[in-house]
Amino acid sequence: MSILLSILCAFAWGIQSIFLKMAMRDIPLPTAILTTLTINFLALVFLIGIGVGRGFLEFYNVSGAVYFFFVLAGFLNYLLGRALYYSSFRFISVTQSTSISASYPIISVVFAIAVLAEKLAPHQFIGIGLTLSGVYLLMMKGRR
Amino acid sequence: MSHWRGQMEAVLASVCFGIAPIFAKKGLMSGLNPFYGATIANGTALVIMTLFIVLSGRGRQLGSINQYGIFLAILSGVCNSIALVSFYWAMSIGKVALVVPITCIYPLFTLLAAYFFIKKSEVIDIFTVMGTLLIVIGVILTV
Repeated sequence: MSILLSILCAFAWGIQSIFLKMAMRDIPLPTAILTTLTINFLALVFLIGIGVGRGFLEFYNVSGAVYFFFVLAGFLNYLLGRALYYSSFRFISVTQSTSISASYPIISVVFAIAVLAEKLAPHQFIGIGLTLSGVYLLMMKGRR
Repeated sequence: MSHWRGQMEAVLASVCFGIAPIFAKKGLMSGLNPFYGATIANGTALVIMTLFIVLSGRGRQLGSINQYGIFLAILSGVCNSIALVSFYWAMSIGKVALVVPITCIYPLFTLLAAYFFIKKSEVIDIFTVMGTLLIVIGVILTV
């Protein structure tokens, strides 16, 4: 079941960018971002409303520090990250953009090494090398 | 120049996507249900984006925009929501070591969907396929 859900997640996340690229032929970028954010927000509110978690009152129990972390995460991921990602569709192919931006776990790993002094396993070094090679190939695509 | 800008935007998006989970993880260490965290994060972005549209005067254009474009953006938002819910659902019943690598294959679905649905505006060559495969395999090995 978890494998099926994971594949569904990858499929849904994979094709959402195609719909958005098609949408951006007819509507401006800010409207596209606002629409997807609204749908996401309504879906989350609906889920909490039908009983995922402990209801809406739980928001009152969340501390200020936790709010702060999620506000930062929301600004970086849902707003800035998404705006840059969708904006890049106007200049390069959606496949190129999706693949380059999908290399984000490397950033997390580099950050973990730099800040948390975590150590990498050998297969992770290979993974970083392969990812960077892939990003390089896509960056050089179409150049002479 | 515009090609370079697009690539830089994708790289910067990757940086944002890479740093954001660190803050989310800090928030989740409090024991908060991830759906509440996602709602706060999403709500923040929604409020800022709404303010931006209203203050920049773009709000007046909303009434005259293309309905088909909005329909496609809604479809994109629905897919986003399905991805979000299925990810947390999979994480709650499965092993992280299995769920995360599988979800990382999403660029392959984008590649396939782009090939079948928007072939005219996409240039899918051997570099695109090789680059995407290298990134997917590399990320699976790294996470």
